Amino acid sequence: MIILSKELASQSVEQLAPLLKKGEISPVDITNSVLDRAEATQETINSHIEIYREDALKEAEKAEKEISSGQYRGMFHGIPMAIKDIIYMKDKVTTMGSKIHKDFVSDHDATVVSKLKEAGVVFTGKLSLHEYAWGVTNNNPHYGAVRNPWNTNKIPGGSSGGSGAALASDATIASLGTDTAGSIRIPSSACGTVGLKQTYGRVSKYGVYPLAWTLDHVGPMTKTVKDAAGLLQIIAGFDKKDPTSINVPVDDYVGAVTGNVKDLVIGVNEDFFFKGVDSGVEKLVRNGIQKLVDQGAKVQEVKIPSLQYSDWAELITSLSEASAIHHSDLQSRPQDFGSDIRLLFELGELPSAVDYLQAQQVRRQLKQDFQKAFNKVDVIMAPTLPVLPNNIGEDFAYLNGEKVDVIDNIIRFMGPENLTGLPALSVPCGLSQGLPVGMQIIGPAFKEGRILNAGYAFEKTAPMQGKKPELR
Amino acid sequence: MKMALSVKELLEQKGIDPKEEHLEILENRWAGLKAARGNLETVNVDDADISLRNVPGGDHSE
Repeated sequence: MIILSKELASQSVEQLAPLLKKGEISPVDITNSVLDRAEATQETINSHIEIYREDALKEAEKAEKEISSGQYRGMFHGIPMAIKDIIYMKDKVTTMGSKIHKDFVSDHDATVVSKLKEAGVVFTGKLSLHEYAWGVTNNNPHYGAVRNPWNTNKIPGGSSGGSGAALASDATIASLGTDTAGSIRIPSSACGTVGLKQTYGRVSKYGVYPLAWTLDHVGPMTKTVKDAAGLLQIIAGFDKKDPTSINVPVDDYVGAVTGNVKDLVIGVNEDFFFKGVDSGVEKLVRNGIQKLVDQGAKVQEVKIPSLQYSDWAELITSLSEASAIHHSDLQSRPQDFGSDIRLLFELGELPSAVDYLQAQQVRRQLKQDFQKAFNKVDVIMAPTLPVLPNNIGEDFAYLNGEKVDVIDNIIRFMGPENLTGLPALSVPCGLSQGLPVGMQIIGPAFKEGRILNAGYAFEKTAPMQGKKPELR
Repeated sequence: MKMALSVKELLEQKGIDPKEEHLEILENRWAGLKAARGNLETVNVDDADISLRNVPGGDHSE
């Protein structure tokens, strides 16, 4: 297979890795291709906060020497990656997308960064985000709006919008995002890429700036499901430095992705996950479920009664925890926050301790209700977002022609997985009005292999029909 | 009987000076959140344990 240098950036890890291993392509050529693409799309898409051209090329040369001398480390060796700028890299600025932390330099790597360095990843830069990861539009007042490569008037979703937009515009080969109320899955859906929020505690959050401690996750954002499996394989594992890390064995995620879904039982919850959904989105997701049924899966309806309180519990929990983290800055320098997150921090000061603790009671009930559902089904499938991405600068989206609040609707199907900590994967399932739509696959705790496999079986049916954003 | 505190008063008690143009939005959003809570009638909040752990001896039990 011959790939032109300028086309290297458009490839996935699973396409590049075998060629890198055999020495048929060079990490330096891939890195140059990705850096060129990142620089070329920066004016239109604005996915990056910083690009590390010089450092990245040095790392790529090192990877090339290692691979050519037979020291191949695995699937991500020599792969260029840019990551969300809320994940610490030693001696590099990590801004959190904020004015307050614009000059913050960490003296240590996040655990996920250490693991990726050991795997031989080449870091090409830091990607934009909604300020402090507290929003869904990525319309950042300090670093500019990130634009959706499929339609540059639209939001890329957030808060990991730089990661989603960079993947869709081939400005990175793979990425990491963080997810507190959908911030990996929202931009993955909006940008037509793959995003995995694995089980809470599966991946260390050490060295990742918090938004809401009990809801935060850091996880893979990629072009394909196999790439997500490969990336999770590297970053998963117990870490004593993260008090929320859970010490359970790491599965073989790459090996689990076989595409065999015969007899897989898919749960569908009509009362919550298919209520108030844009008709174009609903049609694509139901078609997606049918594609798995065509391969031998079965469908069963499931009831999860406490979902009716999940919006409230998610908002009370995330608002309270986020405002606790930023409380002193809200008192002393509120003008340094963007207006939208200042509003959320102010709102988060209002719930009482009783509100917060009752939200945790709802949360436990929700976990029990999901557990009952997973006694009957293997996975639950749903739309990732009920609406299509809205215009940049507008605080409403359209749901079947009616204006609806962006935040309330975009996070509606996200909160339950953060509250329960259950793993959830978003895979692209087609285009509606020229914009990507994501399908969400939720699994029992620590069953990432199962949801990745279901996602891969669906991805094989080519739901995007090879379409990519038309960017120069 | 004294009326319930306004959002502005609640925030000022905590040393927070809310943006003037946020006050109406905050009142509406806070009212929306209270309405979303409802009476939690299908959740046994009086009996249910909470989703928080107290791990004795440190961050991880091993």
